[in-house]
Amino acid sequence: MSLGHHHAWLPPGHLRPPDDLHDARSANGYSRSFSGARTPQLRASADADGLHSGTLISDADLAPDDDPRIAMFRDLYKRSEAQINDLFANQKSAEEAARSAVADAEETQTKSQRADESAPPPAPAKKPARKLDDDDYDDYDDDDDDDDEAPSPPKPKSLGTSHDPSGLPSPSRPSSGSVSVVIEARKETKKETLEDIRKKLEQDKKATEEAAKRSFHTLFYTLENDRDAMLDQQRLEESERQVEAEMSGQANAGNNPNPNSNGYGSLSSANLGASSLTLKNLIARIDMKRTMVQASDAELRSLMSEVRKNRSKWASEDKIGQEELYEAAEKVLSELKAMTEHSTAFLTRVNKRDAPDYYTIIKHPMDLGTMTKKLKALQYKSKQEFVDDINLIWSNCFKYNTNPEHFLRKHALYMKKETEKLVPLIPEIVIRDRAEVEAEERRLQLAEMDGADESDDEPIMSSRGRKAPGKSSKKGAAPVRNTPSGSEPPAGQASQPPAPVRSDSDTAMEGTQNGFPTPPPGGTQTPSDPAGVGVGVQGSQGDAMEIDGLIPSNNNILTALPASGVESEDPEYKVWKQVTKKDRAVIAAERHRLFKGDKLNSEEPALLRTKAGMRRWLRNQMQINAEGDKARESTAQGMDPGAAGETLAEGIEVDEDRVIPDYYDVMSGVPDLPPYLSWKEDSDGNIVDASEEFLRVLPSGSFTQPDSKLSRKMDANMRQMQETRKVCSKIGIVKQMQLQSQMYQNQFQKYQPEPFVEHDVPAHVMNDGGPVISPWVCKAALQRSVAKIFYHTGFEEYQPSALDAVTDIASDFFQKIGETLKSYMETPKLPATETPEPNTAPQWKRAYTEPEMVLHTLSSVGVDVESLESYIKDDVERLGTKLSTAHDRLRSLLSELLRPALADGGEDGSSAFQDGSEQFIGGDFAEDIDEDFFGFKELGLDREFGLATLSVPLHLLQNRMYNAAQAQNTSAAQAVTLFPPPPAYPRITSETLPSQIGLVQGFLGAKLETSNSESLVEDLELPPKQRPTAARPRLPASGKIQPPAAASGLTTSPQKRPLPPSAAGQQPASKLGMSEPSKKKVKKNSGASIGASDSVVEGEEVLPGVDGTKASATTAVKPNTADEPSVDATPDLSGKGDMDTGPDGVGAESVDNAAPLTNGTVAGDAS
Amino acid sequence: MFALPGGFPPGLEYEPEDADVESEEQFRDRLTNTWRQMMFVSGETAEPSVETTTLIEEIVRQQVVEILARSTALATRRGVRSISTDDLIFLIRHDKAKVSRLKTFLSWKDVRKNVKDSDDKGGADAADFAAADDPIAGGVVAGPQDVASKPKNKRARVGLAWDVNSFYSVQVPEREDEEDEEEEEQNYATLQRLAAADERTKHMTREEYVFWSECRQASFTYRKSKRFREWAGFGIVTESKPNDDIVDILGFLTFEIVQTLTEEALKVKEREDREKNRRGGADNGEDSKKRKRETGLFDPPEEGRTPVEPKHIREAYRKLQATPNKNIAMLLHNGRVPARMPLRLI
Repeated sequence: MSLGHHHAWLPPGHLRPPDDLHDARSANGYSRSFSGARTPQLRASADADGLHSGTLISDADLAPDDDPRIAMFRDLYKRSEAQINDLFANQKSAEEAARSAVADAEETQTKSQRADESAPPPAPAKKPARKLDDDDYDDYDDDDDDDDEAPSPPKPKSLGTSHDPSGLPSPSRPSSGSVSVVIEARKETKKETLEDIRKKLEQDKKATEEAAKRSFHTLFYTLENDRDAMLDQQRLEESERQVEAEMSGQANAGNNPNPNSNGYGSLSSANLGASSLTLKNLIARIDMKRTMVQASDAELRSLMSEVRKNRSKWASEDKIGQEELYEAAEKVLSELKAMTEHSTAFLTRVNKRDAPDYYTIIKHPMDLGTMTKKLKALQYKSKQEFVDDINLIWSNCFKYNTNPEHFLRKHALYMKKETEKLVPLIPEIVIRDRAEVEAEERRLQLAEMDGADESDDEPIMSSRGRKAPGKSSKKGAAPVRNTPSGSEPPAGQASQPPAPVRSDSDTAMEGTQNGFPTPPPGGTQTPSDPAGVGVGVQGSQGDAMEIDGLIPSNNNILTALPASGVESEDPEYKVWKQVTKKDRAVIAAERHRLFKGDKLNSEEPALLRTKAGMRRWLRNQMQINAEGDKARESTAQGMDPGAAGETLAEGIEVDEDRVIPDYYDVMSGVPDLPPYLSWKEDSDGNIVDASEEFLRVLPSGSFTQPDSKLSRKMDANMRQMQETRKVCSKIGIVKQMQLQSQMYQNQFQKYQPEPFVEHDVPAHVMNDGGPVISPWVCKAALQRSVAKIFYHTGFEEYQPSALDAVTDIASDFFQKIGETLKSYMETPKLPATETPEPNTAPQWKRAYTEPEMVLHTLSSVGVDVESLESYIKDDVERLGTKLSTAHDRLRSLLSELLRPALADGGEDGSSAFQDGSEQFIGGDFAEDIDEDFFGFKELGLDREFGLATLSVPLHLLQNRMYNAAQAQNTSAAQAVTLFPPPPAYPRITSETLPSQIGLVQGFLGAKLETSNSESLVEDLELPPKQRPTAARPRLPASGKIQPPAAASGLTTSPQKRPLPPSAAGQQPASKLGMSEPSKKKVKKNSGASIGASDSVVEGEEVLPGVDGTKASATTAVKPNTADEPSVDATPDLSGKGDMDTGPDGVGAESVDNAAPLTNGTVAGDAS
Repeated sequence: MFALPGGFPPGLEYEPEDADVESEEQFRDRLTNTWRQMMFVSGETAEPSVETTTLIEEIVRQQVVEILARSTALATRRGVRSISTDDLIFLIRHDKAKVSRLKTFLSWKDVRKNVKDSDDKGGADAADFAAADDPIAGGVVAGPQDVASKPKNKRARVGLAWDVNSFYSVQVPEREDEEDEEEEEQNYATLQRLAAADERTKHMTREEYVFWSECRQASFTYRKSKRFREWAGFGIVTESKPNDDIVDILGFLTFEIVQTLTEEALKVKEREDREKNRRGGADNGEDSKKRKRETGLFDPPEEGRTPVEPKHIREAYRKLQATPNKNIAMLLHNGRVPARMPLRLI
């Protein structure tokens, strides 16, 4: 029974603000049924109810003015309401219900005694009430919005005005009656059967739905039927709209009630049932005080009917039974229409164009649309008429389509079956005029007034009896709808919030209502079960129990029904189609709107994911998982409450439960959380940070060349190249020097290549496996590799654009290699064994082994192992040997350049002096005359060093090249000085003189005197040329170190060189005055006089020209033999003054080195 | 074995420009003859038809023109108008054996020139020396004269721009004592060819050998290069006054092309024959028997052989033009290979 389905599509003209809907629901349903205690809450919470309460108050104010009795009635009413409240506030367990029922009965008995008197009085109150009613009725008719408000004011009014003659016997059941108990009983049973059927259908529907839902997880349904579903749905809607349009000329009354609530057969009846619950007390009260009420029964009845909130649109004052009949009929009709699968053909009148001869064959055409029209026009007087019309449709079809194979016949057949199933739902009512009924009533009443007391209320009950069937029938539908509210006390509150959303999407509402009732099948609902009320509290409980007990079995039986109805198709698919049709249609329509004309419709509202949708998705996922675990039964049970709790806790936006698989609602999908992101807490409630376990440091070396033989070889080659280039640059310098007479320091750039170091990326933390996908870094790494290969092939430098281009080509090529390799790797696996056992899982193996893959890939990109090997052999290894030979050659070239003497020094002496003075400088020429110019032979050096000639090796000579090299070396040496030089000693002035040691004070003082008290300048501060120390200790030509005794005396000096003219007869005093540096000489001289302890200092300060004896003396002291060869040679050079410069320069060096020492001794002496 | 231009005829005949007067017909005759000779040297024993030689000529000419065009492009890229030897060698750089042979060829050419320059009178001696059959095999033969021996010993090594020696700013000094290992290895292919030639000439009669020797010296460029220049498209493809070396290299390359082509064509033909033998066994038993015996020990190898036909040449050319996978892989873009691949130099 798809009760909830057909109202999903609101007729277009029918726009109800959500509030009304909500209000209608809350008011007619639960608030009434729970009466007093609940109503105030509702009033506080809902707008309309607030209004309602307002009117109530105003009525209350009004009432006392009119009639004091009204106040009393109200008082009574309040009391009774409190009782009812008590009744329902207590969890409605059976016992309590029973107890209260007993109490009620007692009360009613006491009250019934007064019943007779209360009949007349209500008259005065009637007028205002009536007036109000009229107004309200107008409102009611005019506007849906007033639907809720309108009936509410009359309620207190009617309370006040109406008396309580009726309702005494069974206050809980004013609706049950017919004129006689017998009739009532009959009705009761009938109602129950109806109920039964309804329940069956409902359950059946639910079961199929469940089945379909379960199949969501197991089957993937394609979407191809969605369009059909949508079109069907549209057609249905269209036809309804058409009917609507045609009916629009009619009274608004037909228009206003919202088919949503009506469409819910059970819901609407629940409303009524609920309201009747309230009313029954009222009625009982009125019946009790019937005598006090001065209103006719008819008046009362009209009042009562107005009091009832949310009466259906069919309700009519004048027609008895119309409401009930039409309610049911409409439901059936819409049910039938909703079976769009089959009903499409019957929705509208047969078009003459389609079937020209139709109207000749069919004299009485009928279709569902026409029936709707008729229904709305209130043309049906009884159930029979209605049923006849329906059957007429099918019979017309059979009549016209005589061919038994005709597809429409199948549809008609199906529809007929459905009709047969549904028709029992319609109560057997013949609509009668109120006047007629009332007349009858009056008659009966009179008869019974005379009659016995045994059933005091009977008359009044019967007076309402006309109405009863409708009510009861409605109530029959009620239980299902009502039970949830009864069974879940908190749900009363909880289920209210959803209301606004319901108005948004009716399916949602339907979902809730379908969803909620299911779980509580049992006894809890009974107290509130209006069905039970019909017979009496106890009896009703029993009935309800019975019914509930029946449900499961029915359920099982009926699940098969829809499936059995369809033989032609796969039953499961069929069920799927049926169950999901509505939702699919809705979704398809949404999609259709969204993509208007194959384009995204920008006018449409944006798609938003909803909490509820996601929640549902998650729930479904869980369910699927649970099913997957084969533990479905237990987990599903355990899960549902949890899910529900979740929903409740979150303040439920919707629990829209669409009967549709998840993949229809793509938007609500929730991606899986990776485990390390999930929120975990340990026992102390601290959050476990799982993320750390998943972080990893990128292993170093990801972006550097892996160490291998090849790479080492390439690196070695590159180093070799650098070395060779260094040699080349030296050769260049030498050649340059040969060409140029003068050269400058900045002329030669030093070639100082830096070794190649591949830098890895800085430490990098990742939270995922796999390589780093960082295009720029990767490209840079590739670029570096390419650049390396460039260098390796001999390019010393290259343009960035060239590098870029080659890098791009290389990456392209490698990409292709990667793709090829990938496609080989992804080749479908082959069965490992030729004939796999059917039962065992077949073993699969890769189509290619790894070497095969690599080889295939290589060959497909045109590279083979041989070419790779030959590359390594020729372009790497052989290159290495070539490079080393080139290096050797260049080295030898350089050494040849540097030491030409070794190669062809004096081979032919003819050209000895041809090429400048080098040989002269080197002393080569001396060989010609066989003279050991430098004494090499004598020293045995020629043998020792393998000298080819006796010339001075070029590199030892003080020449330009040597200077150049020296400059380079010193600059390099300076750079690596470990210790800073000590601060210079302060100059000695007359001021600082006293701080010196006493021994030297006199000496220094004398010097200061000579320099006119200017500060004394240390030798070291002088430029090298001016230093007095240019000379070095010399050995005599004999090579023997003379004893320090200085026995030889001044004249024994072996010096051949003539003494400088000034030196011959020099006196120390004259020397003092000579020049600035000469003060040193003074110092020295006096030092000599001071003692041998100063000899070191003195020795180094000997002037070449004057040193005579002292030189020999000091040399003896100083055991410095490092440069003896040259020094030794010096004396031989007497007569050649310029030869001095060389050795002297070297000497200067050593002096420089000793300088600190000198100073130190001086200082030491001074102190 | 490559032709040694100017090697064989004694130096007496080495007169530069006078001999280079040749009519069109003469040239054509010479050309056809030369093709045949070259093919003979390359292993073709029978007399090829005119169609074959014409086909070969067309192919060779296309190749030569392509070589010239590309080297001109290379020269232009360097900013030079005229082609240098480096440009030519660059085009064949991947064939190391060929490069090595070319280098040897050039160095010997250099030697010959030196001999000629330094020794005006001793032409015969120089020729003797130059006539040494193979510079590698007989390279150690010392010249009769001191003067001649010296340049020979110091035979210029042809340096290439992409050699190790050019890595450095300073010219790496030569050292005679070190024989280049690489060169030796690259000569391997040359030696193979020589060995094959030796095998072929082993059983030749004197007359045959003379013919063989003549064929080996077949050259387009020797002494009469004017027509060849026209034929190769000098002046059209590139500037008309090429270096003497260039022309000689081209002459060398033409021989290489013909040789490669002929060898490939022979292989094709051999395979075809084998196929025919296998299939022909059924239809013609006698014939197949005969053919089978062809490989027999005592069969004169040069008898009963059909010449290479144009279809074989064409097939050989197709094979040689096949684009290697690597080029395809490199040029593949969006799954498409460029429709036209550049001509491959043989």
